[in-house]
Amino acid sequence: MKLPVASRQSPARARLLPLALSLLLSTSLALTPDQSLRAEAIGDNLRCPICTGEPITQSTNDISREMLRDVREQVAAGRSDAEIYSYFAARYGNFVLLDPPKDGVGMLLWGAPLAALGAGGLVLWRFLRRKPTAAAAATPEAEGDTFDPYLAEVQRQTRRKEGA
Amino acid sequence: MTDLSPSSNPAPTPAPLWRRLLPPVLAATLVAVLGVALLSPSRNATDGGPLVGKPAPEFTLESLDGAQVSLAALQGRPVVLNFWASWCEPCREEAPLFRELGEKRSGENGPAILGILFQETKEQNARDFIREYALAYPNLRDPGIKTGIDYGVAGIPETVFIDKEGVIRHVDRGGLSRERLNVGLEKIGVEGI
Repeated sequence: MKLPVASRQSPARARLLPLALSLLLSTSLALTPDQSLRAEAIGDNLRCPICTGEPITQSTNDISREMLRDVREQVAAGRSDAEIYSYFAARYGNFVLLDPPKDGVGMLLWGAPLAALGAGGLVLWRFLRRKPTAAAAATPEAEGDTFDPYLAEVQRQTRRKEGA
Repeated sequence: MTDLSPSSNPAPTPAPLWRRLLPPVLAATLVAVLGVALLSPSRNATDGGPLVGKPAPEFTLESLDGAQVSLAALQGRPVVLNFWASWCEPCREEAPLFRELGEKRSGENGPAILGILFQETKEQNARDFIREYALAYPNLRDPGIKTGIDYGVAGIPETVFIDKEGVIRHVDRGGLSRERLNVGLEKIGVEGI
């Protein structure tokens, strides 16, 4: 039973050898330093699909390594960053992008904090601007700079009593 | 003292309705959005994905028997593409279903079943697996996981259902049950098992 298994293994190895060689060749893909940096930067933005929030440049599993090699191949082939990102997004979904695109729901995620900040600023600005005028409007009888409603009330009451 | 209040601070005019409703509406919206985000299956879904409805990526791979198998050659036939490895436990559990599918639907309209090895560390383990479950369809090597990446495979098992026109109609992630296999089969016009 064991003999045929052993004999089958060797041709398999013989077939694997050129395969391993071609793999080795493709990993040592000739990239200029610039291209290498670009591939690295793109890889930093691609999430390893089986890790938790780790870019493929940092994880050590096979699929990340192969994805990074894929990125390098595409860089070498002269494809743009956007093309490479969309290539992976078309296969793994936007989940694979660590820096999601700013459209659709992504736009909402990016825009909501900014919109909230703007709205908050507007409310604060209006509040700060309104306060002195509102206070002035509410104190027709106020004398002096500082207005104390209780003091005003007391003054009014005493004035009324004096009149009576 | 009693005539104090009406004469002094006139009761403040109530804020307009929209202003009083704004905070509770904002809070309710926030809760609703968080609820939807929490309950939506998205990443945990076992099916679907960006490739559904798109043409299946082309490949030509070598089977463990040394034959060249290309997807293009299967055009006109529905294809069930199973990414697997011998070390994967759910793959072991779903393997009998594929054998059964091959036996029951081997006719004219039956699907072509293809296995693609994903991160198989030892080819001999895959051969043992194939023999153990008597799988009678081609199982292909995928050097550099090129095809795996092309199909967006992150974990295995993953099964891609391709219709006669070569369009991906369904993707199932995780071990298949009979029901889930049948869902995929129906989408590519193959009778369930």
